[in-house]
Amino acid sequence: MSKLMEWVDARLPISDMIKSQATEYPTPKNLNYWWNFGSLALFMLIVMIATGLFLAMHYKPDAQQAFDIVEHIMRDVNYGWLLRYLHANGATFFFIIIYVHILRGMYYGSYRAPREILWWIGVIIFFLMMGTGFLGYVLPWGQMSYWGAAVITNLITAVPVVGEDLVVWVWGGFSVGDATLNRFYVLHFLLPLVIFAFVIVHMWALHAVHSNNPDGIDIVDEEKDTLPFHPYFTVKDLYGVGVLLIIYCWFVFFAPNAFLEPDNYIPANPMQTPAHIVPEWYFLPFYAILRSIDFLGSFSKLAGVIAMVGAICILFVLPFLDRSPVRSFRYRPLSRSLFWIFVANAIMLGWIGYNPSDATAFDGALPLIILGRTGTAVYFGYFVMLFIVTAFKIEKPLPLPKSL
Amino acid sequence: MKILKFVQVAILAAAFIPQITLASSGAVHPPAQEWGFKGAFGKFDNAAVKRGAQIAVEVCMGCHSFKYIKFESLKQFGYTEAQIVAMAEGQGRTKKDKMLSAMDAISAKESFGIIPPDLSLMTKARKGYENYVYGILTGYLNEGEAELVAKVMEDETVSKSEALELAPVLHVDATHPEHVKHTLERIGNGDNFNKYFPGQFFAMPSPLSDGAVEYADGTESSLKQMSHDVTTFMAWTAEPTMVERKTLGFKVLIYLVFFTIMLYAVKRRIWAKAH
Repeated sequence: MSKLMEWVDARLPISDMIKSQATEYPTPKNLNYWWNFGSLALFMLIVMIATGLFLAMHYKPDAQQAFDIVEHIMRDVNYGWLLRYLHANGATFFFIIIYVHILRGMYYGSYRAPREILWWIGVIIFFLMMGTGFLGYVLPWGQMSYWGAAVITNLITAVPVVGEDLVVWVWGGFSVGDATLNRFYVLHFLLPLVIFAFVIVHMWALHAVHSNNPDGIDIVDEEKDTLPFHPYFTVKDLYGVGVLLIIYCWFVFFAPNAFLEPDNYIPANPMQTPAHIVPEWYFLPFYAILRSIDFLGSFSKLAGVIAMVGAICILFVLPFLDRSPVRSFRYRPLSRSLFWIFVANAIMLGWIGYNPSDATAFDGALPLIILGRTGTAVYFGYFVMLFIVTAFKIEKPLPLPKSL
Repeated sequence: MKILKFVQVAILAAAFIPQITLASSGAVHPPAQEWGFKGAFGKFDNAAVKRGAQIAVEVCMGCHSFKYIKFESLKQFGYTEAQIVAMAEGQGRTKKDKMLSAMDAISAKESFGIIPPDLSLMTKARKGYENYVYGILTGYLNEGEAELVAKVMEDETVSKSEALELAPVLHVDATHPEHVKHTLERIGNGDNFNKYFPGQFFAMPSPLSDGAVEYADGTESSLKQMSHDVTTFMAWTAEPTMVERKTLGFKVLIYLVFFTIMLYAVKRRIWAKAH
């Protein structure tokens, strides 16, 4: 066996790679459980690709058949119901994990130098995930699939000059239809593989600069401050996977439709608009931002789309907006307060996105649209305030520890 | 610490979630019923599914189909081969066929203005789920309510006090007697009123009334009993794999909890060396 490995290693140094990048890879010893969410996200990606592959073996992207095919998978395919519920709920858990993963990076300053490229690749992966999630939701071809696709693809018409032609090109016709479903299926199959490629680059970038840690300080003494990845972090990550699986499987087996809209069990009907079109929960804060820009007349649509895309794109410049000498918010009281306001606001935006745009709170006293505009301002305000507080040295960071 | 803080924030936020008023939709939440098949250990009551199938075939399938279910799959609930063959023949089909209504789409559209929706997935396809289906079946005006409506409309006017009296029956805004009157006029015209249908009027006339079928097992066929049974049957048609799912889920979760506790113990043991 060792002879064989010697032969391979002389040609492709696998043993070295495993040693330096996996088993003996030096990892900060003070990582807390929030650092589990990276490996959990990778685990979910694998679950999604695996279940998706088997679902694809039974599915047909045909507007006349797709809805019935999904029911065929649920009823006639051996464990088809399990595959579908794992996949549908998997999307939900993938997004919960990725949101925690992003927020962890924001809290502990993981986007700061020298990790900007690592962060950017992460934002690209997030974009790709949203695209994949949207495309996948269209495939069961229920009412929400169809009308969600209609509403979102209609945003393309906001593009100046070419918008109207562009949306016809995307649809493959003059409305969402069979051609749209077919291409969405192809793209839904392709994008996860693109995500996978970016995940490899994400990990390459990670291993080039190494993990940040809750204190946000650099490793001074590798001997004292780090632990080998194996067995310490392999077992910690596995324990995390166990906890995730318990919660995830509880939903899959006992409340598999908790995150699905009942309307999506009605076959797509282009002649009948549902009373209230809602996107999947993980788009809701961004959907609320989109709808909050309604006061610019004919520019509202374009401005709304720009605000929605901008809400994610602003993450690209976050590394340069944060001017603090300290990375971790653990030692930055003002930034920490801003962060929790940002989180609470994002949840509120999600709730606003879930409700119809003409809904009101407090017996009609407060139209939700007002709350939505405020929430949008607070969302972008976080980035402005973070810049002001750090660039003008308003925040006085607490003293940092000398080592981990 | 941070988790505690997060929970704190979340609870505070939840406390401030105000009551939402919707400008559109006049839907009323149907009251929750007891369903034996809900919950982690819930199973279908086979006798209820069997009775429900009888209603489905004798009543619902006059217009509606259950296109994802074959007649012969009713065998598991205790129907005999001969009974199933008879059921299928009643719809002009064989036992191997899907449970499709004998009424074709064109004549359905002529009679009702719309094609009656397939019922296989109905308990999963509406907000309120089983409670909605039960609500619809029991949500037509009962005899007392119909008499009240007729009495109010005798003089073709609706006074303020009459509007207040009718508001909880019709689920309409009592502050506008005109609105109440409009609803009453539509009822008088023979439109199908239902308390729990969003918009309150729809194409389906009341399908069930006390004694509409004669149960083979001798159960009294009250409206409530029949509605409960046929809804249970529809919950089964919506997801025949439900019991299999929960049974497997129970095993999977026991395994996962055991496995995770072991992983935690191993993690503690390995990390003991690091501190």
